[in-house]
Amino acid sequence: MKLALKLVAAFVVALILGAGSAILLIRSGGLGGDVAVGPWETDLTIGSTQADPYTRARVAVAGLLALNRNETIYFTAHRDDAGDKLRISCSYKITGFDPPARWWSITLYGEDHYLIPNPQNRYSVGGETVQRNEDGSFVIHVGPEERDTNWIPTGDGQNGDTFTLTLRLYNPDDKAARDPAGISLPQIAKEACAS
Amino acid sequence: MKTWPLWIAGVTALAAVFHILTVFVFPYGVMNRAIAGIAAEAGGVNKAIYPDRPTAEARGIVRPSPDLLYAACVYDVSDRPVKLSSPVPETYWSLSTFAANTDNFFVVNDREVRGKRIEIILAANEDTVPEPGVPLIVAPSEKGIVLFRSLVPSDEAVAEIDTLRRQAKCEPL
Repeated sequence: MKLALKLVAAFVVALILGAGSAILLIRSGGLGGDVAVGPWETDLTIGSTQADPYTRARVAVAGLLALNRNETIYFTAHRDDAGDKLRISCSYKITGFDPPARWWSITLYGEDHYLIPNPQNRYSVGGETVQRNEDGSFVIHVGPEERDTNWIPTGDGQNGDTFTLTLRLYNPDDKAARDPAGISLPQIAKEACAS
Repeated sequence: MKTWPLWIAGVTALAAVFHILTVFVFPYGVMNRAIAGIAAEAGGVNKAIYPDRPTAEARGIVRPSPDLLYAACVYDVSDRPVKLSSPVPETYWSLSTFAANTDNFFVVNDREVRGKRIEIILAANEDTVPEPGVPLIVAPSEKGIVLFRSLVPSDEAVAEIDTLRRQAKCEPL
């Protein structure tokens, strides 16, 4: 009887440790990966049949139904250029030129991986809608303070204090698909934070 | 004789097994939930849904793109092949298929389609006799998800893109 109780206890402890550590690892993994361009990260096996079990599990949590990299590359930023976490109370300036793809967009998501509610119903800026400067560059404002153009609101904190940005490159150029680490992507600079 | 080292080793080994099992099973669990949600909304498998353009209220699939209009269905090729068909708009568009383990095993976009309409047969194996001129894709799992993506280049284009994506179909042969 005593041995049976010990065996049950050992089973339960092993289950909690094993399954718990796996779920923690999967949920904390996000969509980052081993390829980084500034604050943007990606994993080249996202959506691919070559994905390892950990990548599949991470994709299931943070990017279900993601396309493979020949069709779309998904870069995710959890931090700004200085390495600080992206916070909804702060303002950021995203500057750069069109990434090498047929079409691109930058979308803001809350900690729960869903779009953040905001009165303007604005969630993204993309290649079709961004206002460009004369030299083709653009500046996208991210933060709580309303702007006339190129603005993605950070909402009111319903989805947590931090957020992430996803840069989608649909039909990336051949070079980008072959070597995503070698392309130039927009910079994310923090401007100010509400006290 | 002290037995606790044996117990610790046993628990560690068993925990490692549970860890690996969880990582392997997890994607199937998430996909099964997505499959059940789409099938419930569509009224069954091999029937398409046409969700509203994603907003902050969308809670079906994580990280939806607000720049796209989607159509989706659950394919089930266990009994018979499934025919996927859709008009192809003059904007970025793709048809993609996802296996029960989340793998994107097939994708085609508007630039790869000849003409303004696509038809594809999804089957459980290569023994299926294809329709003339219609490509046959073998699905690695009996059930999975088909997703049609259409880029909405401007608010003015929503109505036109919406009309076209509502003609996307998944039908058993």
